[in-house]
Amino acid sequence: MTPDYNAPAIKIQGLEKWYDDFQALKGIDLEIKQGEFYGLLGPNGAGKSTTIHILTGLANFSNGDVRVFGRDVVSDFRFTRSRIGLAAQEFNFDRFFNIEKLLTLQGGYFGLSKDKAAQRAEELLKQFGLIEKRNQNSTKLSGGMKRRLQIAKALVHQPEVLILDEPTAGVDVELRHMLWDYLRELNSEGVTILLTTHYIEEAEQLCNKVSIINHGEIIAEGKPKQLMEDMGTGCVDLHFNDVVSEVPEVFRNYNAELEDNHIRLRVQKPAKELQKIMNKLNSTDLGLYEVRIRESSLEDVFMQLTGSSMAEEAVNGKQ
Amino acid sequence: MENNKWIGFYTILKREIGRFLTLYRQTIMPSIITAALFLFIFGYALGSRIQEIKGVPYMHFILPGLAMMAVINNAYSNTASSLFQAKQLKFLEDILIAPISATQAALAYILGGATRGFINGAIILLMGVIVFHIHLYSITITLLLMAIVSVAFSATGLIFGIKAENFDQVMVLVTFLITPLVYVGGVFYSIDMLPPILRGASMFNPLYYMVNGLRYGVLGTYDTAPVGSILMAVVITLVSFSIGVFLFYKGWKIKA
Repeated sequence: MTPDYNAPAIKIQGLEKWYDDFQALKGIDLEIKQGEFYGLLGPNGAGKSTTIHILTGLANFSNGDVRVFGRDVVSDFRFTRSRIGLAAQEFNFDRFFNIEKLLTLQGGYFGLSKDKAAQRAEELLKQFGLIEKRNQNSTKLSGGMKRRLQIAKALVHQPEVLILDEPTAGVDVELRHMLWDYLRELNSEGVTILLTTHYIEEAEQLCNKVSIINHGEIIAEGKPKQLMEDMGTGCVDLHFNDVVSEVPEVFRNYNAELEDNHIRLRVQKPAKELQKIMNKLNSTDLGLYEVRIRESSLEDVFMQLTGSSMAEEAVNGKQ
Repeated sequence: MENNKWIGFYTILKREIGRFLTLYRQTIMPSIITAALFLFIFGYALGSRIQEIKGVPYMHFILPGLAMMAVINNAYSNTASSLFQAKQLKFLEDILIAPISATQAALAYILGGATRGFINGAIILLMGVIVFHIHLYSITITLLLMAIVSVAFSATGLIFGIKAENFDQVMVLVTFLITPLVYVGGVFYSIDMLPPILRGASMFNPLYYMVNGLRYGVLGTYDTAPVGSILMAVVITLVSFSIGVFLFYKGWKIKA
């Protein structure tokens, strides 16, 4: 069976999830094309994990249509689950066996023959630098090794869609960059990737498309750059030689802030707006000392839409 | 991508059996030591002062009950605790996200636990055959009944493993129901030796039928006809298995 290569890798329509009388998902629509590197961002409890759990079979849902390569995740679960690999946020290793056996078992659960599963386990242990620990129990591994094992486990059956829930939470910078490189490589080989993250840089660096989800609804979707341009606010800081008494008339519609010899202008696309601002500045008699611009970031967009920063979320998430 | 949809099922089954074989000090030795102690104390040391029951020496009389006790305890405990641990440590998720149906997953867990129950019972009976020279009356009924009862209680274990929120709850059924019912189910006596009212009460104890049925298979002697024992085990199996599969399918306490 080959997947329908005309269908999106993931397509979710009108997805609702109720827990008794609490509605966790309020009609999610999401389409992830094959080969995309997709980020799902949102505060804790927004519905990111619930959405992922529904895609993978870890949660039931109340209403809606959820498809992987055009097939229904409930009625055609054998097809859809064979194609998805999940690296859950919390480590979940079978503690009764060593890590090589654990990966081999995982292959078996996904229908690989004994030989194929053993071969994949060995390949992945080598690839993730864990081969020397093959006979160890997962409880003996360091945090970074566990994180690598968690991702390796998701890849045993060579899934076409890889879903990662906070893949670099609590990981040091070096390993984070190593994992990023590896994920980019997988993506370049054609694996569709869906990740949730608290690290804004991760989404900016890796994802070619992101959605922001809050209170069970998707409130923004697009290419990170597009979102930043459309919704973020950057600024142009003008520093002058002398103290300025009031914001000049020409800058009145920039939502300007004045402080001593410094004027901050709020603009959506500071780099593009700079020439215009300089022209306007020439019409005044102010002596410019320095110009600084700060481009809008995904962080701004996130804060503007959800009212909390991603950094706060990361801290809350660990509690 | 390979297409054999039973590989996942066999992998869980092999994992379940592999787990208890690795932990044999906890999963096989205890019931054998317990049975050996009972046989020594009641069969050998005190047995000489106890009359034959239904024409068989006391040591022979208690052997099938001890085997059945091991079958029931081990089949139940294996599935209940293994599933509870997988749920608690979240590696049950590996199975829930795999292309394995609820029926296959439930069945694999049940057969894994049943294997442990069966092996425990078989070793105890083998001990009787080798050490006490018991001649098995009907190998077919003996093995059949041990197999069905293993599956029945393993399936019960599945339900309680799913339901349990902590380890105490896993074992609560063993402590407060299974163990007492086995003990009063005629392991150490024939219910003919009881006053009529207790004899009547015993007829409501499902475990009495299991013990009695195996005694028939091993020794050829019985209080009630062994057909009832087999029927009772089949009923428990069907009910528990259906509930277990349904819970897996619905994801009660294991899915969000």
